[in-house]
Amino acid sequence: MQEALQQLEATYFTLQGQINMLSTACKTQEQRDALSTQYVKARANYWACVNKAFHDDDPQVASLTTKVGAANQELTQAVRQMGDIATTIKNITSVVTLGSQLAKMVISL
Amino acid sequence: MPGFRLGPLRPTLLRTGRGLRFAAISVVIAVFAVGCKTPGDAAAAATQLSATASMLTGYYAALDTLLSETDQLYQIQAAINPVAPYDTQTKNYVTDTAAEIEKREKVAAALTTLAQEFAKLSGSTASTDASTAAGNLESAVAGLKLSSVSMSASNVNLMKDAVDLIVKAAQEHKERETADSIDKFTAALDTWFKSEEPYYNSIGATYANLTQSLALALIAQGQVDPSSFLAAVFSPYGLTPQITDPALKSKVQAVMIAQVDQKSAALATAQQNATTSMEKSLTEMASRIHLVATDKPMAIRAAPITLAQVQSWISLVPQIAPAAASAQSSSAGTTKSN
Repeated sequence: MQEALQQLEATYFTLQGQINMLSTACKTQEQRDALSTQYVKARANYWACVNKAFHDDDPQVASLTTKVGAANQELTQAVRQMGDIATTIKNITSVVTLGSQLAKMVISL
Repeated sequence: MPGFRLGPLRPTLLRTGRGLRFAAISVVIAVFAVGCKTPGDAAAAATQLSATASMLTGYYAALDTLLSETDQLYQIQAAINPVAPYDTQTKNYVTDTAAEIEKREKVAAALTTLAQEFAKLSGSTASTDASTAAGNLESAVAGLKLSSVSMSASNVNLMKDAVDLIVKAAQEHKERETADSIDKFTAALDTWFKSEEPYYNSIGATYANLTQSLALALIAQGQVDPSSFLAAVFSPYGLTPQITDPALKSKVQAVMIAQVDQKSAALATAQQNATTSMEKSLTEMASRIHLVATDKPMAIRAAPITLAQVQSWISLVPQIAPAAASAQSSSAGTTKSN
């Protein structure tokens, strides 16, 4: 699979796999809303690209893919440790924002 | 020359699109016959192509079932967990992806019909059914190219060009070029499938990931009745389990969670293995067509053995996703006839 889609899939799968635990960990409605927004964005980023292609030789795509990959590792770690939910939501927002930038670079025919 | 004999093509037929397709089929059969070292090679190649294309149709239909099920699962998730609503944008993406898979199913079905017509022909003329089948394949491939969310456009163009070449070569009575075009079509189909293989596997992995996530959530909330899980213990005695002890319930839940994790991984792996087997079958088929088209003997007459592994997964899908498979089966007449 193209690396870009692979990273968007990784973000979505991590959130999908932990969405119930993360929902339970939220202490306020504001946190739940923020988590919901990021989950929906991550899922849309993935589905927007599942049947499309990226220009693998585009340096911007390569750079963003690397950034999303690194952010995914931090996300996995944060979700696994599940410390402060507010910090975890910040991590999620960070990787999903990068993912949205990457998803915008998909080739539209 | 063993095999089929090509009858003269009427000029009036050649001036029409239908005539061109008729000519194409006639030349195809003639070319397969020209290339065969034994009289049965042409028919065997056509039968194998039909079996492979038919399995490809089933493979895409099963993927489509998983996408329908995914759509339903997102709706269920939204009802269970308000943090995970099913937004319109995602729903549209899922619907678009399913529509793209259905287009691929139509290409495979059209190729199946065309190959079946090849296999049936044994005389000097082609049937009008074969002519119609060739036209349907042209239409199905053209539909892929026009798609707004087309995967692997360049590979679709290769197939489209190959179909166009078949018609053109027939118009000019260039039998060798026609053989090359068929060879190119099956090779392009194989390349196209390989290029899309990761997307197909991603669809399967998404389905497995989503079912796992929902199942684990419901188990954690104590919303799963463990009775059927314990059936292995009590069914020989005609007894029904009734677990009331919270500690025991918790232990059983832990085992159920482990089983869900294990089966989710197995679901994704089974789909990926089916994709690999389908790809191997297409490669094998393309190489056999190449043999026939280049005047070499086709030693193996049986369908590619990897097709059995694809069939195994296709048979599994209605069991893991019975609701979607049933709904698709009831609407199949409408979809497939287009």
